[in-house]
Amino acid sequence: MKDYEVVIGLETHIQLNTNTKIFCSCKADSWEDEANTNICPVCSGLPGTLPVLNEEAVRKGALLAAAMHAEVNPLSRFDRKNYFYPDLPKGYQITQFDEPIGKGGYLDLKMADGTKKRVRIHKLHLEEDAGKTKIEHGTRLVDFNRCGVPLIEMVTEPDLRSGEEAAQYLIQLRQLLRWIGVSEADMERGHLRCDANVSIRERGSQVLNTKTEIKNVNSIDSVRQAIDEEAKRQIELVESGGKVESYTLDWDADRNKLSLMRSKETEADYRYFRDPDLLPVKLSQEEIDEIIASLPELPLDRQARFVAEYGLSEYDADILTNERSLSDYYEAAVSAYAGEPKAVANWMMNDLSRMLNDLGKTADQLVLGPKALAEIIQMVDDGKINAATGKSLLKKVEESGSRPAEIVEKEGLGLIADSDALRAQIEAVLAGAPDEVASFKAGKESLLGWFVGQVMRSSGGKADPKRTREILLELLKK
Amino acid sequence: MSLQYITPELFEKLVGLAALELTEEERAYLFEEMNHQLSSVESLRQIEIPEGTIPSLHGLNPEGIPPRADDWKAFAKPEQIVALAPESEDGMIAVPDVKGAK
Amino acid sequence: MSLTSLSAFEVARKVKAGELKAVEVAEAALAQIQAVDGLSGSLDGGAVSADEEKKVHAFIQLTEKMALEQAEKVDQAIARGEDAGILAGVPVSIKDIFCVEGTTTTAASRILSNFEPPYTATAVQRLIDQGALILGKVNLDEFTFGSSNESSAYQPASNNPWNTEHVPGGSSGGSAASVAAEEVALSLGTDTGGSIRQPAAFCGVVGLKPTYGRVSRLGLIAFSSSLDCPGPISRDVRDSALMLQAMAGVDPKDSTSSTRPVDDYLAALGQDVKGLRIGLSPDYDAVYYPDFETGEVRKEAIQKEVHDTLYRSAELLAKAGAEIVENVPMPNTAYGIPAYFVISRVEAASNLHRFDGVKYGYRTEPAVSNLSELYRLTRAEGFGPQVKLRILMGMYLSAAGHDADYYTHAQKVRALIRQNFVRAFDPDGGHRLDALLTPTTATTSFKRKAVFGDSLLMQYSDQMTVSSNHAGVPALTIPAGLDEAGLPIGIQLIGSDFREDQILRIGYAFEQVSRDEAWREARPQVLAGEVKA
Repeated sequence: MKDYEVVIGLETHIQLNTNTKIFCSCKADSWEDEANTNICPVCSGLPGTLPVLNEEAVRKGALLAAAMHAEVNPLSRFDRKNYFYPDLPKGYQITQFDEPIGKGGYLDLKMADGTKKRVRIHKLHLEEDAGKTKIEHGTRLVDFNRCGVPLIEMVTEPDLRSGEEAAQYLIQLRQLLRWIGVSEADMERGHLRCDANVSIRERGSQVLNTKTEIKNVNSIDSVRQAIDEEAKRQIELVESGGKVESYTLDWDADRNKLSLMRSKETEADYRYFRDPDLLPVKLSQEEIDEIIASLPELPLDRQARFVAEYGLSEYDADILTNERSLSDYYEAAVSAYAGEPKAVANWMMNDLSRMLNDLGKTADQLVLGPKALAEIIQMVDDGKINAATGKSLLKKVEESGSRPAEIVEKEGLGLIADSDALRAQIEAVLAGAPDEVASFKAGKESLLGWFVGQVMRSSGGKADPKRTREILLELLKK
Repeated sequence: MSLQYITPELFEKLVGLAALELTEEERAYLFEEMNHQLSSVESLRQIEIPEGTIPSLHGLNPEGIPPRADDWKAFAKPEQIVALAPESEDGMIAVPDVKGAK
Repeated sequence: MSLTSLSAFEVARKVKAGELKAVEVAEAALAQIQAVDGLSGSLDGGAVSADEEKKVHAFIQLTEKMALEQAEKVDQAIARGEDAGILAGVPVSIKDIFCVEGTTTTAASRILSNFEPPYTATAVQRLIDQGALILGKVNLDEFTFGSSNESSAYQPASNNPWNTEHVPGGSSGGSAASVAAEEVALSLGTDTGGSIRQPAAFCGVVGLKPTYGRVSRLGLIAFSSSLDCPGPISRDVRDSALMLQAMAGVDPKDSTSSTRPVDDYLAALGQDVKGLRIGLSPDYDAVYYPDFETGEVRKEAIQKEVHDTLYRSAELLAKAGAEIVENVPMPNTAYGIPAYFVISRVEAASNLHRFDGVKYGYRTEPAVSNLSELYRLTRAEGFGPQVKLRILMGMYLSAAGHDADYYTHAQKVRALIRQNFVRAFDPDGGHRLDALLTPTTATTSFKRKAVFGDSLLMQYSDQMTVSSNHAGVPALTIPAGLDEAGLPIGIQLIGSDFREDQILRIGYAFEQVSRDEAWREARPQVLAGEVKA
């Protein structure tokens, strides 16, 4: 068998998280709403209606273009793409055909083996979403709630080489979209939709062969599987003397199977022409500069900086920059904390993460702020409380909203600070366990742990284990 | 003998693209009229367009209105829109399934 | 003077002064409509009796209740000492291409025969807000595609009130007819290639196509989005100025509407025309059209009486103090119709995609089991032949696989047409015109059925008007005489961008200086007093 290379390009449709639709003032997000309740004459294509552009859709589109290192076009235009379908009320979609808002650009992927792969972007453009249809007993039912939601369509160059790379692209794209705040990018809610173009060629060849299009692969796993399946199918086909046709395929996620949607590229003639109801989208150089300046530090850059500045491992930095508010939180906590950034990282990756998961919150939604976290860690460092108490404080602060020190004081959680008081506690324990003391002195050193436990019990957990051990040893060795 | 600018085959393709269906009478009338009008359109080709002429989209350059603010304003009676549909079911607009088309 | 022959200006003045009740005005209009209109256009309409042949048939839908309710409101406001608006109590008809909540909006097409819009067009709403009374929706060529009103699916279509054997023109035929027949004082029409001005000229009334973007298009069922302009039709210039005043201005729901402040059009009328430079162009003295057998371009002189009326009118304006500038070249005028074919058909075909039987309007019966059949049968049964012709033309001109990009090419030609106007109006140029004076149409109104369907000859008659649609500039038609058969002749004043004030001023001055002309004594046939109530 020859050595084949898989060539993949992805086309993604990204739902922008503006308040309103792109050409009318209905809500952009109507996931929870009853059918046809989030509509108006404009988005349902009533006669005589006209589109009016949403400035926030332009800004978010330009922001995404900037984040993808694309060229933001100061002048872009809207065109009509004409065809008949029930979910398209005007009978045409308003899109950007040849003068899009963004051209070129790239996304650098961090692969599992640590290498970087650059995926080039062909273009990004603004367009409106269509409605939803479902089939029920031979009838097609149409819901216009989603008509007119602002989308960015982003097309890559055929730079991807495996289902895994495509999956990584989507994962990192999703992270970026949430990071810069242009989309919730929840694939289950259709905020991020993907079509994959797949072809094969002999390794070393530069030719682009006939490709197939896989539509509606709407989860990361589906993308990976569908592409790998299709690549396999094409290779088998070619190896057995067949020829790849430019089919359009559908991925059935339930049965993990590809099926044929359309055989011949039905020559759809969309008759694109400039939409005369809209004026060109103009962005001044100042506006473009402002948008670029408003870009936050992007995930990969921040990850690298965490490694360099805070001495974190790549693994840890990766986890802490997975989501923007988590990384913002981390930095704030580190700056409030006098000790090692690594310590904060440990607390956040373990106990805080667990709490975030349990509560279903993101870091910016916590009542327990980064300064409070830093305080807790500091108190453990200073021996004011023990580690177990510290962990329990996370939840207590979150639930009560009180400051950590206040809770410690109110509930008497502080470790026994006074050495004499501790000594007295320990002496009391030893006095009450003469047999064990004798055994220890006879050589059973393992009993030390037991003594510590006893001290902890009698002190209600407020004894500092380290200090306790020290004093025990001192007294026992006497 | 009038000039013919489109073939009957192309004419049929356009009828399909336009989602229309014609009677024989209509077909004859429309085909002839189209050819007449296209002769007029072809005269456009004869016009010498000076280099650098920018296509005019509206005649004057409308400065128009700037894009609107991203503020939600619900349409008061969306059910009135659904009520316009010839057929609907549970608030959704009903049409036959596509099958048979391709 | 009967109530129905009062101008809008006079009605509003009297109503606001308490001399007249809006309800009286409404009732007078309704009585006049009853007397002269005859059968309203309907889908099942067709052959009519000899008596009906003499009626106007301007209306598709009479909105009696709405008009009376609006009149009540006006009267109550006046009684409370409130401002009832600049059109208080003025009876108005609306071309049935505008969505008006509470009415059906048919576009004179079967495909929208039952369509009741849940919103009202901005232009109409502004009229209502200024106290106007909506008497009804008037007839037009189906989807505004035509120049005679004959292609309406609602028959009988309108007749010309001057001679009911003749067409009122189109597409705003019902609008012009209802004003000429004194059924209403004002009508709201639309002009894409001449659809206000041509019928206004044919019916001996005033019609204005404002600058593109001066009046909002929201609620106007689109034909050709880059050319469509809503505008007034009235019996005198002052009334068109008044109606424009009520409607003009930016609309946040129309992206192409202009933010330019609205002038005081009535104030402009008071100024004389001394020293204004008014141009005449040889390129508007004939119609140029291609012979479709040979492809050659032919030149056809305009009707002699039209030519003579134009020159006599120029003399009158000169007497009023204007400076007439002859031989202004506008050579690209001849390209207007072919460029219009391309641009309007491409845009129209796309604008009509939404009429598919799915969401509103007509759907084919009995039910079909296949979506593709639903589309084809609905559109085949719902659209008339003129509409199908424009759709097919639009499909051809925008379809892929040509070596010519027709649309972009036509837009370049459009730029050339615009350049002619820019040069003519350039204050630092050779002509420095304030307005261009041309005939409105090449001929007077023709007999019904004389010019079949969408023949090239009918189309080319729009050559005088279409160039101002391409250029976006405002243009006013005013009655200037009658031909030997007693049919009205209109002359056209074309101005520069947003200078409606200028052309209204000149039009008003012309009215003053021609006040005593004999032809002004003539009345339309339907008003000659013979028609029984």
